[in-house]
Amino acid sequence: MGRKPLSQLGSTRRDFIKAGSAALATPYFVSSSIFAKDDKPAPSDRLVVAGIGLGNMGSGDQGGFLNRSDVQYVAVCDVRKGPREAAKGKVDKKYGNKDCKDYVDFREILARDDIDVVHIATPDHWHAIQVIEACRHGKDVYCQKPESRTIREGKLMVDTARRYARVVSGGSQRVLEDYKKQVEPAWAGELGPIKSINVNVGPLSTICNLPAEDLPPDIDWEMWLGPAPWAPYNSKRCSGGFNTKGNTWRSYVDYSGGGMTDWGAHHFGGATFAVDVRELQPEQVIFHNDKDGKWVEMKYANGIAVTHNRPKTGNMVIEGTPGEKREAKPVPTYKGGKNIYGDFIECVKTREKPFRDIELAVNTVILSHLATIAYRLERTLKWDSAKQEFTGDAEANRFLDTARREPWQI
Amino acid sequence: MLDQAFDALKKLDYGADLKPLEAIDAAIVASQKDAALQKDLETRLLAVLKSDAPDDAKGYVCRKLMIVGTPASVAALDELLPQEKYSHMARYALERIPAKEAAAALRDSLTKVNGPLKIGVIASLGARRDADSVAALIAQLSDSDEQIVRAAATALGSIATVDAAKALAGVKPTGVAKSAVVDAQLACAEAILAAGNKAEALAIYKSFAGGDQPKHIKLAGTRGMLACAGKKD
Repeated sequence: MGRKPLSQLGSTRRDFIKAGSAALATPYFVSSSIFAKDDKPAPSDRLVVAGIGLGNMGSGDQGGFLNRSDVQYVAVCDVRKGPREAAKGKVDKKYGNKDCKDYVDFREILARDDIDVVHIATPDHWHAIQVIEACRHGKDVYCQKPESRTIREGKLMVDTARRYARVVSGGSQRVLEDYKKQVEPAWAGELGPIKSINVNVGPLSTICNLPAEDLPPDIDWEMWLGPAPWAPYNSKRCSGGFNTKGNTWRSYVDYSGGGMTDWGAHHFGGATFAVDVRELQPEQVIFHNDKDGKWVEMKYANGIAVTHNRPKTGNMVIEGTPGEKREAKPVPTYKGGKNIYGDFIECVKTREKPFRDIELAVNTVILSHLATIAYRLERTLKWDSAKQEFTGDAEANRFLDTARREPWQI
Repeated sequence: MLDQAFDALKKLDYGADLKPLEAIDAAIVASQKDAALQKDLETRLLAVLKSDAPDDAKGYVCRKLMIVGTPASVAALDELLPQEKYSHMARYALERIPAKEAAAALRDSLTKVNGPLKIGVIASLGARRDADSVAALIAQLSDSDEQIVRAAATALGSIATVDAAKALAGVKPTGVAKSAVVDAQLACAEAILAAGNKAEALAIYKSFAGGDQPKHIKLAGTRGMLACAGKKD
């Protein structure tokens, strides 16, 4: 456990907050420079952070937070012993002590009142449960992409974040950092009125039917599966590698949307940013099956289309209006620091919405989900974003969610 | 091809190649415009479900009944709800089948299942937002198991009726049920306000805006009160 200095002084950071006259709207982060040493904020001024899911992506996220002087990193959680111990080791090494607590069950972290922020990088089938539960416990959350595994999950994540006025950021740093070639001319108005942008990404996820392997002693298999259908342990089933063709959980429908959501979260995020439809959801998902193959066109009410795998069209290719220009708009960017972690932490302090605010992130990943459903049914769909359902389409609405294995629930 | 696919399905076990089953997926797509094919598919799937096929095969069947199941599938799925190794996959289908018979089967099973299986059934009724189940779910709020109370509260928050809100307000939750009961009441208040019933919503929000509630809950209550007054915070 960290943060002893203030309690030794007979006070706590929360006492300061409680005494603050600005009351409810103030951020948890308060200034108390009297406790600072050198240029570093005093422990009392640091945001108290914990990590849930510390494999490939979680480890990187942990570094992004642990290296900040305004963060006090106090706890890690992973159902696998190796990543859990490695993550604790990094924290203990950083602070020169053994204070970092390690957990197998994320609920123990969320129950701790001293933790302000959690970062989540578990497999996708856990995201919604953990984000929602974190918000219910008053935590601010940084959640890896793709944020939701089903459409219903996304809606509930946004609703819960808003209910408690939590700062919840999605996790794709690429949205701002990797697509400047598309974003800058589009926002500068150089492409004229935009008609469409194309994203090439895949594949869809499939059912996992890998054989049983001997269960190693260093993983809590029931907690790894969590809300997913029971299945025997297989090292590929739970591998956090980046392949989406069968060697990792990212390939399989019970845990992920496949490449369609995994890289889709980046590409669709960049696409919707470039053509400025991040705050919207499409109203029509048009399924095409022509001589060049199957592809999907998602049309927004403003006439802009985001297409998926459009034949003879490269990834992130924008169709503008040649010869025309539009008024330039300033390109939104991170609010603090130079990366997505700095943006999130700054927003935790100021209570602003981060660049990858959960609603924008959900509006991104829903494109992957909508396209997937159109491909699975091989037909055109009409989407009602207000009702979060397909209009007059009971068959398509079956795909909005899947039942969770007991006792998990959203 | 479809016959071969179903022959493969009857023997499906972990480790088997799923490629021979692709004809079933193709038939499911085609059945959207072919009622006879849909009926044939459902009948074949139910035959596997009722057979001594491996558990993996039965799980696969439930995944497909989620897509093509009708009231004709409900009885067979209902039989699996009290069985620990099949209950979740039975719900996998039942939760998504858009028929009142599916909801009724889930609701009626509340008297047949306990512990985690009951939590699963409660969760499915909540996911379906089944207003006909509000009374049955309210009854679960007085269960001595706080996990059941937690599940019922979450489900009632999803359905979010005035009756649900009133029942939730009378609960004195303990342990893990606490945050769920609060969250469910706030979710009800949002729905009630959206439906135009400001007085009911305001009463809920007021109950959370003061006292010794955690800060984020007070904040939710205060923001809700502002919303009732037509103000943004």
